[in-house]
Amino acid sequence: MPILKNIAAIAKGMSITLKEMFAPTVVENYPDGPGPLKGAKFQERFRGVHVLQRDENGLEKCVACFLCAAACPSNCIYIEAAENTAENRISGAERYAKVYNIDYNRCIFCGYCVEACPTDAITHGHGFELATFNASNLVYRKEQLLAPMPAHLGANAVFNKAEIDKGMPALTS
Amino acid sequence: MRFSDQLETRIATMLTHYPVKRSILVPTLLFVQDEVGYLSDEAIAEVAKRVELTELEVRNVISYYSMLSLKPKGKFNIQVCTNICCMIRGGESIFDHCKKKLGIGHKMTTPDGLFSLEEVECIGACSWAPAMQVNYDFHENLTAEKVDAILDDYKRKAQQ
Amino acid sequence: MADAPKLVNLTVDGKAITAPAGTLLIDACKNAGIEIPSFCYYPGLSVQGACRMCLVKIEKMPKLQTSCTTVVGEGMVVTTENDEIHQARKSMLELVLANHPLDCPVCDAGGQCELQDMTFTYGAAESKFVDIKNHRDEQQWSPVVYFDRPRCILCYRCVRVCGEGMDVWALGIQQRGVSSVIAPNMEDHLECEECGMCIDICPVGALTSGAYRYKTRPWEMNHVATVCTHCGDGCVTTLGVRRSDTGMEIMRGDNRDKSGINGDFLCIKGRYAFDFSKEPERITVPLIRRNSKLEPATWEAAFELIASKLKEVRDRDGGQAIGVIGSNRTTNEENYLLQKFARLVLATNNIDHHRTADYPGFVSALAGTQNMTASMRDVASAPAILLIGNDPTEQHPLLAWQIRNNVRLNKARLYTVNSNQIKLRRQSTVFHLISAGSEGAFAQFLVGNDSAASSVGDPQALNSLRDKLRGEQGLVIAFGSEIRGEHIKPLVQFAQSVGAKLICLGDYANSRGAADMGLYPDLLPGYYPVSQLTGSKDEDWMGKAPKQPGLTLQEMFSAAAGGRLRALYVVGSNPVARYNLDPFALKNTFTVVQDMFLTETATLADVVLPAANAYEKGGTFTNTCGDLQRLQKAGDVTTVKSDFEIIVRIANAMGYDVHGLVPFAPGLRADMGQTRGAESGEADRHKVWLTRQGIEPKLSPFDPLALLDEIQRLVPGYEVSRLNLMAGNDQHTQVPDIGSGELPSHPELIVPSEDTLFTSGTLGRYSKTLNSVMENDRAVPEDAGIPAD
Repeated sequence: MPILKNIAAIAKGMSITLKEMFAPTVVENYPDGPGPLKGAKFQERFRGVHVLQRDENGLEKCVACFLCAAACPSNCIYIEAAENTAENRISGAERYAKVYNIDYNRCIFCGYCVEACPTDAITHGHGFELATFNASNLVYRKEQLLAPMPAHLGANAVFNKAEIDKGMPALTS
Repeated sequence: MRFSDQLETRIATMLTHYPVKRSILVPTLLFVQDEVGYLSDEAIAEVAKRVELTELEVRNVISYYSMLSLKPKGKFNIQVCTNICCMIRGGESIFDHCKKKLGIGHKMTTPDGLFSLEEVECIGACSWAPAMQVNYDFHENLTAEKVDAILDDYKRKAQQ
Repeated sequence: MADAPKLVNLTVDGKAITAPAGTLLIDACKNAGIEIPSFCYYPGLSVQGACRMCLVKIEKMPKLQTSCTTVVGEGMVVTTENDEIHQARKSMLELVLANHPLDCPVCDAGGQCELQDMTFTYGAAESKFVDIKNHRDEQQWSPVVYFDRPRCILCYRCVRVCGEGMDVWALGIQQRGVSSVIAPNMEDHLECEECGMCIDICPVGALTSGAYRYKTRPWEMNHVATVCTHCGDGCVTTLGVRRSDTGMEIMRGDNRDKSGINGDFLCIKGRYAFDFSKEPERITVPLIRRNSKLEPATWEAAFELIASKLKEVRDRDGGQAIGVIGSNRTTNEENYLLQKFARLVLATNNIDHHRTADYPGFVSALAGTQNMTASMRDVASAPAILLIGNDPTEQHPLLAWQIRNNVRLNKARLYTVNSNQIKLRRQSTVFHLISAGSEGAFAQFLVGNDSAASSVGDPQALNSLRDKLRGEQGLVIAFGSEIRGEHIKPLVQFAQSVGAKLICLGDYANSRGAADMGLYPDLLPGYYPVSQLTGSKDEDWMGKAPKQPGLTLQEMFSAAAGGRLRALYVVGSNPVARYNLDPFALKNTFTVVQDMFLTETATLADVVLPAANAYEKGGTFTNTCGDLQRLQKAGDVTTVKSDFEIIVRIANAMGYDVHGLVPFAPGLRADMGQTRGAESGEADRHKVWLTRQGIEPKLSPFDPLALLDEIQRLVPGYEVSRLNLMAGNDQHTQVPDIGSGELPSHPELIVPSEDTLFTSGTLGRYSKTLNSVMENDRAVPEDAGIPAD
């Protein structure tokens, strides 16, 4: 009975369709999704725009050792070092990076800089929206790369500190 | 700075013994320390001039030898040995006893300037351990009581 | 000559080697190509035996031996690498690292640290010692020396190089055993010559340089070997340069690779005093005087103004109304070009420079005898040295270093005759204090004029000194500017009688070059007198030079005051301050100054051109001994131009055919010396010379090498190996053979710079490091004048 066979085939096909109708959606709703990432999802290991980390005191972890610049295969990291003083303490060690530029025209996101960093100062973040109409905007300065101050040391530190003293966990942005 | 006549002649004789002047440095320092009590800045400058070395070099030597001191010491410098033989025979407890009795610690001087205390390595009196040296005199086979007697003895001597 | 030492046969790692008896095992191995690691051992310093890294196995000796303290023996069988030795060295490293902070990412030595290298080699990164490290704060010992105690591995190299090498003895070791610590001579700071040798020689980052610390890392820089621009000794300094906003910034100077005559030696000026090049006061744009104020202008406007004014004066008043003053710090090529420009383009012989030594007098006293000048290398190996006048410790630090090391390592005899108690008396076999100004009389006495002795000093001591000197073989005589004019001749006679070689000491980096290149009103390059030029040189450009000798520097200024000098062109010189000249003398003279700073002279100028310094251009320098060395461009400031380019551009703006100044790019239709043949006498002589030397013609009019070709062709004594010169080797030049004629030498015009270790003419005033050291260390005597050149 070919008719029955055909109906069975259609039913089989439609059953898959029906099943998938109720399955959660696979397509990401970027850029109309919720949250700061606008719906984009990442694996933890995704190598996006670099983040220069701070230590628990809010000081920069980078000590301007230039190893990232040395390891960089596309030569896109430019650093100028300077010495910390008692009045102007930027990093935890004797030296800090006065200038730290990454040229994203050239960066190939290989992660060698992260591997090379002896102080775990440079890491890959998940930033990926780099597109610009002007290539000179792709040279990111230290201010653009630095992780924000921990909340209890940030601009609204007093407000947060009161909360921490009351036993609230420190906010992280 | 001028030293006593006796020391001056001693230095002059020593100078004739060696081809270069610096050879007399260590004995000179020791004699100067005995005379002045310690190696003052002035004394160091003077010795450096005489042996034709820089003050820094003289200070290098002084800091190397524990028996040479840059600080004034008490009238009686008590050196308690805590090296192996003395340690086995109770040298450390003798040293502790001294500390308690004098109320001072290692390389310190009593407020009256009478005694200085020091823990030292072997003073070559192993066969009579435990032993201590006060200035240039040896005291052997020590016990706590013996130490008390010796120290009192020195105290009396100082009062005379 | 003493007998050559006996050769000893030994076996190292199964390889049969021979070495002279008395050689240290570590040296013998190194010469045979077997490297033994060490921290404390350093060639040329005394043996320490502190680090125990150089342990080797010697058969029939019970334990591992330190090869830096073992002398080679006949039949020795040595193993330099096996498991036992490897383990021993690894353990030594672990001990060294026990309290080492391991802050390599921050440490200045990171990347060029011997401890780092050794740790990688022996894999001692994992340590058994887990105790908390004993931290000590960093100390600043002087403006340029910082000490980080935990990093120190107690190799005592700094102590030895300061004492033995520099004879300063400012560093010592205090305490003993584990508490040993390197200490400065003034409890918490250093009072010394600030040479920085201790920093340079430190195998780790314990001693760091105030000028360089925490600025960059070794692999981030390009390293360019060039010649120091300060005193006349010609040390090679390897400058580390880095890209910056305005070009290439010089970060540090050292000579770790021992290229050059100075080995690894540099004084404070060679090591730190490059910082004038980034001084904010430096002028970077041309300045033109408008409404009696110097205002920024473009290069084109400046060239146009200079060219029109110079042309106007030349065509109206003739060449004698223009004066040119050259520099002691510009390259040979620039000096040569400047005088050629003056003589051909400006048609004047009014060219002079600040004279610091009587080189014409020296050349005419030698009367053409060849091989009678010593090179800086000769000083390090001569069996005996006679030093008359000068204070090399202050004015010629390299010469002093060479002498000290020669005395210490080779037991050379140093005879010093001076009117001051100079520091080198400590190394002298004989030190003779003479009354001030009697150096010349001493020279007379040397050649047998006994009556001259009375004005010099004790005749008996002088006699015995002269007898000793007469008995010396291979003597090198170095004399300062105290001996000049008529007194050089007896000294040369004496040198001839004992077979000695001579060094005439001048003060600045290229004083000798300025003299050799003819920055004289009466002498052409190669000391040809302008008035009696004959022979083949006449057919070259020199024949077109004016025949009438020009004005000396002082005469130029009095001519200017008298209104006879209408234009003055000053290149890298500061005569107003140096000779304390009347600034108002120049009020009616069109003055052009090219310099780095607004010096006393530049502030009077009508046009000031910003010039590059010697670290920012190529060329050659001749040091005071006559050693020719190559300069390479290290630093760069984009808006300035080299003196060479400026001169060529002015000549061009004046409408002069630049080919006549700089022999460059002949072009397609040029006569290659072939069409009519060299025989016809019309060939391009320069072309023929180039072809014969196998040298390509240069393509740019701004290429100093094009002029070096001409210098080598026309200046006698400069025919040195081009290959060696370009490879960075120093090449000793001979003085030209001028026959027995007398050269006009004007000894009265010589003004020694009287620089100390921490001053360097006008240039030194703009070095922050030198100034900070002076403020820190030495009270400047109140009567000291302003240093200038």
